[in-house]
Order: sequence, then structure tokens, then C-alpha cells
Amino acid sequence: MDRRKIDVVLSTLLIIAAVIILTNDNLAEGGAESDLGIMFLPRVVAGFIIIFAATIGIQSLNKLLKAAAPDSNEIIITNGFSGIFIYIGIFVAYWLAVPHLGFLVTTPFIMLAVAILLGGRNWIPIIIVSVITPVLIYYGSREFLRVYLPTWTL
Amino acid sequence: MLDNILSGFGAILAVGPILGIILGVVIGIIFGAIPGISAIMAIAIMLPMTFYVDPIIGITMLLAVYKAGIYGGSISAILINTPGAAASFLTAQDGHALTKAGKAGKALDMSLFASVSGEMLATLVLILVAAPISAISLQAGPIEKVFLLLFAFTVIGSMAGESIPRGLLSCCLGMLFAMVGMDSITGSSRFTFGVDELIGGFTFTPMLIGVLVMPEVINVIRRRKVPHHELAITRSANPTDNRISFREYKNVFRTILKSSGIGTFIGALPGLGSSTAAFIAYGEAKRTSKKPDQYGKGSVEGIAAAESANNAVCGSSMIPMLTLSIPGDDVAALLMGAFLIHGLTPGPMIFFEHTETIYAIFAGFLITDLFLLGIARSGFRFFVKMASLRRYYIFPCVTVFAFTGAFTAGQNMNDILVLIGFTVVGYGMRMVGLNPAVFIIGFILTPFLEQNLDQAFAIVGGEYHLFFASPFSWVFIALSAFFVYSSMRVKRKGSKAPAPAAEKPA
Repeated sequence: MDRRKIDVVLSTLLIIAAVIILTNDNLAEGGAESDLGIMFLPRVVAGFIIIFAATIGIQSLNKLLKAAAPDSNEIIITNGFSGIFIYIGIFVAYWLAVPHLGFLVTTPFIMLAVAILLGGRNWIPIIIVSVITPVLIYYGSREFLRVYLPTWTL
Repeated sequence: MLDNILSGFGAILAVGPILGIILGVVIGIIFGAIPGISAIMAIAIMLPMTFYVDPIIGITMLLAVYKAGIYGGSISAILINTPGAAASFLTAQDGHALTKAGKAGKALDMSLFASVSGEMLATLVLILVAAPISAISLQAGPIEKVFLLLFAFTVIGSMAGESIPRGLLSCCLGMLFAMVGMDSITGSSRFTFGVDELIGGFTFTPMLIGVLVMPEVINVIRRRKVPHHELAITRSANPTDNRISFREYKNVFRTILKSSGIGTFIGALPGLGSSTAAFIAYGEAKRTSKKPDQYGKGSVEGIAAAESANNAVCGSSMIPMLTLSIPGDDVAALLMGAFLIHGLTPGPMIFFEHTETIYAIFAGFLITDLFLLGIARSGFRFFVKMASLRRYYIFPCVTVFAFTGAFTAGQNMNDILVLIGFTVVGYGMRMVGLNPAVFIIGFILTPFLEQNLDQAFAIVGGEYHLFFASPFSWVFIALSAFFVYSSMRVKRKGSKAPAPAAEKPA
């Protein structure tokens, strides 16, 4: 994938966001008055974002218009991206399941899913690690850190 | 100062801190030696576990993870030619050549001795220099601090990014994210869009793990089909090939001293980091060597130069953080977060408000080197075995540790959502050439900037020319301009020369 195209799109989006910060008065609410003003620093930063994003966007657009060959760091290697989406999906499922099923029940399945995603097929050691690790973390957190990880609520 | 140092040793020589150091060293070496896991990842994962212990134990443990993790990176570099970080690229060249010649023991020994020597020298400099510098920086008022922070943003943003606009844009984005939530001075809420959960801003730990740790995991997931490399120590029949003799160490001691000096100096400058130190020290050692042709082909001197320089950065990168509140690199930014979480605000006041704690941490930093030497030397085989574990055992555990770490920060499931969101942001930033470490530094320093800016405006009132009345202001403006100019020159030169393989994105 050509990173320069992403640069152009991302720069445009950042410039739009920065212009909104510069022009919208409803982004901060309540509070006391100060010498500085609550939106002073965000607006200064937004101004700089416009400058830097425009520099990156214009450089990339120029190269695209000239049909110049991309440098090695301007090519995004997309091999194996399906795995990334699956991993993020697993993490979202983890986040959704833990409040209901609890940490001890959900974690072994999540660890198993990540291990399978990484090509693990040695079932017995993988299952042992997937069961022992959450148990150790759960009781370690409770006893030593006084952190109570979520439990089954259904 | 001597009294403080002695009382620091008194505080650190107790069961808790020593156990923390041992645990930190073991974890650091293992994590550092595993290809795909860096020292920063190990620190971020360990950080939430230190929340509930005494700062002396927690911080020294994290520092032990840092030092040991940087050293651990050289194990995989030497044994399987896979540098964990760009800084170990040169170690990999010479070290792996020795491994192929059956002299892995010699390479590992040299790397350990050079690392420990470099770290100890830099730590001594840190201890001797930090307090006097902080006494000078105490003279700075809010106006000077504003210019100091602007200088830090400019230097870090321009030196650390892939290009100057990308580095500075990363910094600006970090600053913008830091402004979300209730302002501590006025009580106004910014960028919350009516979402109550955003009033407290983004929780630091999940954001940190998301931006700095999880993209590394994602990178491993993306490259999951790359074959696994087993780490193994090659042994020579000749015992002298399996170790470093005192004479060999003595022969390279001058190189170690010089490289440690270079590493200490580079580390103390914000934004340059260990790779730059290793490359400069290696180049200098090669230039002055009697056998420059051996460099890159299995030179023990080359390993000594690269390792002592990149490890010296560990100690000296703490100098700007502890004296000026400026984290020089990503690990220093992370450690600054750890200090803040433990109620210690890095900066000149730390030497007066938390004297005993800071000197105990310094003492722990120094003692860590001795533990690193002992533990690494006696457990090479164990660490190599642990680092050889297949990734489908390691990364499910890392995932769970990241989840638990994010949850531990506030015991809140919304923090997991922050973790997921910033994982995507962190990986996206790497894809488009933005620098996540600079983003984090922008995030950490913005509240300090805003607070000082507010005080500075209150001081000058309507007379804005008073901002430029102090010579400090002009010095920092000149230094910022100089760093941007020199960074532009360096980058222009770099774009003409072919980039080294280790600097290319994975």
C-alpha cells in the first residue's frame, strides 16, 4: 500500500479537525476564567497541526502527482493484516465478555484463541498455560495488589 | 551529597527492594532476549504491578527491568542475529559472526561486561551531576519553564521523528489528547462532547500500553508466519573461546570508557537515544582501532563499543528527566509516568522533596548492575531457554498482562476500551511514520506546559514583551532553532546516504 495516499487523506482530516478547534467555541464548557483562556493552548496546537499536516500532505501529494517511485519507508506492507483484524476482534470480545463471564472464565479462551492465531498446535501445553496463567494473575492481583478482577455476574 | 548517597544505600539494602531488583533483572533479561519484545514493553507490562508497593521498590524494579532489558536485547542479537532494537544492530553484526565461529560464549561475556561497565559509569555520572543541575534549574520561574518545555517539544519532535514535520506532528497530537477532560486550573471541561467518562481525561496506563506495547504484539501477529528461531549457545572445544579473559577485557577497557562517555553524553541530550549512541561510539572505536578491518566480522572490541554506549544511555537519559522534567526518550517518558504514578514529580524539586527516595533509587540503580552481572553470568542457559519459548506461549500471556495492567490502573472496564482504541492509534501511527514515543512525551509534558503558561501570563499581565526579558528565554529559543537546523542537516545527509538495515521498519 502506498503510504503517500494515506498521508494526503490523514493530513486533510487533521486539518479539518484543527480548523474546527480554531473556529468552534463550544468545545469547552463551564469553569472559571483564567488569564490564559481555556482554548488558548488547544488553538495554538491546532495551528501547528495545520502547518505540519499540510507540509506532510503537500509533500506526499507532490510526489503522487509527479508519479515518483515510493521510497522503502513509503510502502506499507499489508501481508498478515487479516491476523491484526482477528486479534483486535478477539480483544473486543474479551472486553465485552469479562464483565459478564468474569476474568477466570474468559481469559483461558482468549489465550487459546491468540495461541491458535499465532499458529500454536501443541494443545496440551497451550491449554495448561491458558488455565494456569489467569489463575495466577487473578489470585496474585487479589492477594498482593488488592486488585479485584471481574467475576461471573450472569 | 555523600550523606544522602549513604542513606540511599541504607534504604535500598533491605529485603523488599533487593527482591524487586532481582525480579526486575530476571524479567528484564528474559523479555529483552525474546525477539519481538523490547525493554519498553517489559516496563509497561510491569508498571501496573508496582502501583501498590513502596516507590523505592516499584521504581527500582522498573529501572532493573530497563537495564536488564537493554542488555537482554544483545542475547538474541548475538545468538540468532535478531536485534531486539536498532541499538543492538551493530552487536548483532559482530556477535553473530562470533557465534557462527563457535565463540558465542565470548560474545555474550563481552556484551555483558561492556553493558555493565557502561551502565555503571553512566549511573555514577547521573548521581554526581543530577543534583547540581537541579539546583541550577530551580532558579527558573514559570516563564523560563515555558521556554524550557517548548525547547523540549521542539528538540524531541525534530530529532526523534522519521522527518521533522512527522515528529512535531506526533508531539502536537500527544498534546491535543492531553487536553481532553477537565482543566485542573479553571475546572472547564474540554473536548468531552458530553461524555462523562472523558471528564477525567484518558487514563495514562492503558493509553501507554496501547500506544507503546500493543503495536509490538500486533507486529508479531502480522508476521506470525515467519519461522521461529531457536536460540542456542555454540560451544568451542577451546575453553578460551567460550569466555572473556581479564586480559581481553583490559585490552578493550579504553574503548569501553570512551564509548561509555559517548553514550552518557548522547543519552543526556533529549531525543537522540541509544541507537545514535551505539552508532557514533562504534564508528569512533573503529576509527581509532588497530584492527578496523575486523569490525563487522566478529570484533570483540566492536561489541564492547556498541554495548557500552547503548547501555550508558540508560543512566544518562534520566538526567534531563530528573533535573528538568524532560524525558529524553520513550523509556524515560514511560519512567516519568511511573514516577508520577508513585507521587514523585520528576524535576528539580524531587531532590528536595523526596531526597531519601531519590537517593535510594540511585543506589538501587547502581546495585542493579552488580545483580545484572551475577544473575546474567550464572543463568545464560536459563535465559536462552526462556527466550526460545515459542511465540504462541508468550504473546497470549502478554495480551492478558496488557489487559490486566490496563484494568489495574483504575479498576474500570472503560480503560480496556481506551487500551483498544490507543492500540489502533499506536499501530496506525507507526504505519504512517508518526512517532508514538514523541506522542507520549507530548501527552506527559502538556499539563506542565499549560500550568506554567498560565502562571507566566498571570506574571506578565498585558506586557507580553516581559516573556523575552529573561536571557533564559533567548537561550532556549536559540537552542531550539539550532536543534531544528542541525536536525534538518542531519536528516538531509541521512537521506543521501543509504539507511542501515536495522533502521528500516519491521
